[in-house]
Amino acid sequence: MQALDDYINQVTTLQPAPRVLSELLALLRKEDTDSAQIVELITFDPALTAKVLQRCNSVFWSADHPVSDMSEAVGRVGFNEIYRLVALVVGEGVLRHPQAGYRMHGGELWQHSVTCALAARVIAHRLAGDENLVFTAGLLHDIGKMVLSSFLEDAYEPIMNRIEPSGLSFLEAEKSILGVEHAEVGGRLLQRWNFPRNLVYAVGRHHDPASAKPHHQLAAYIYVGDIIAHCLGQAGGLQSFAVRGRPEALEILEITPREMEGFMLEAEAELQAQNWLFQPKK
Amino acid sequence: MPSPSISNILGFERKLIVGVGGMAVSNDPGVILTTYSLGSCLGITIYDPVSHTGGLLHVMLPDSSINPEKASTQPGMFVDTGVPALFRAAYELKAEKHRIQICVAGGAQFLDQSGFFNIGQRNYASLCELLHQHGLVIQAEQVGGLVSRTVHLNLARGEVRLRSSGQPDETILFRG
Repeated sequence: MQALDDYINQVTTLQPAPRVLSELLALLRKEDTDSAQIVELITFDPALTAKVLQRCNSVFWSADHPVSDMSEAVGRVGFNEIYRLVALVVGEGVLRHPQAGYRMHGGELWQHSVTCALAARVIAHRLAGDENLVFTAGLLHDIGKMVLSSFLEDAYEPIMNRIEPSGLSFLEAEKSILGVEHAEVGGRLLQRWNFPRNLVYAVGRHHDPASAKPHHQLAAYIYVGDIIAHCLGQAGGLQSFAVRGRPEALEILEITPREMEGFMLEAEAELQAQNWLFQPKK
Repeated sequence: MPSPSISNILGFERKLIVGVGGMAVSNDPGVILTTYSLGSCLGITIYDPVSHTGGLLHVMLPDSSINPEKASTQPGMFVDTGVPALFRAAYELKAEKHRIQICVAGGAQFLDQSGFFNIGQRNYASLCELLHQHGLVIQAEQVGGLVSRTVHLNLARGEVRLRSSGQPDETILFRG
């Protein structure tokens, strides 16, 4: 833990904790939560509220009938849609920056994260999983890269040498160079930000879902979402396919490789439907 | 599929972007066909240097039997429906089979012994089999590996350029 904390403490550019997400997730899971509590939590942050309403107006209805306050928005589209908009606004604020150590341009980590989240949610929807939890875990799964990026900036040669000839995964190369890897750093960061234990575990072990017991199912959703995002070319960065195949992820979710291809098609369609999330490509 | 209509501005190259499961064919020498984000997907370019007809296809999966309905609305999603559609569209613009130059890029592969996640490899195998059945050969390719790729086909001369994710520079796959 010490090494993980050392790395996290050295990064001065980290955004403030997206605490609103963990608090909202907790509220959404309680049966007696009413909309007033949710609205109160979101509107505590006026900048966030304004962005969510703006997104809400551009996504859900025409300019003729805009919503101007959060209670009305929750009433009209429901908690789940509003939660996902909050997660997207918060996530973009945290994840949109370039990650030079991974050779990722501005927006690439964000685009990857959103694609993973959408794909994982498509699967969770079909398998009756907790879609909000899965979506959030997908969005935040690579948050550890924000911490490690600056430490990898001068490590181009060592990374390439470990991956290409030696056959290490990117994660294993990180571990070999820095002594820590981005998944465990991400898990630790979310723990420090008081995210629920299942999310912490699943993010921390998202490259090896079977080792995330008892939260292996959540980790498997993220793993498969991550794989689909890579397949769709939404990964970016250096040697991004240096990810170890974990067939047990499909076994945990009880899906076949062919079913995964079907989810890929659905995820791609979802990505097209949500293309308002991204700036146009250069 | 008809040629995309683009206003003609002399002296400027115009970039036409092909998305996942999409394709474009044109005989306008001022056009560059581009597709981004080829992960395990394949970017397939064809070019006839005499008629200057070229096409670009971005296929995602090897076999349309997984979703025939999708294949009927968007044949470019699958190798087995996309490739024939690409060639038919080029033939409509006077491309001739014996002159066509084929280049392929993409099909990145995970570090996966299980074969559960080898979509890139299966895309490529499916393409090779289909081309072989029709007596066609690939002129140049950069397939597999650990990177996503971007592909450009220049319709003035059939040059194909590539950029790999994480790398700053483009490389030439085929000079045309």
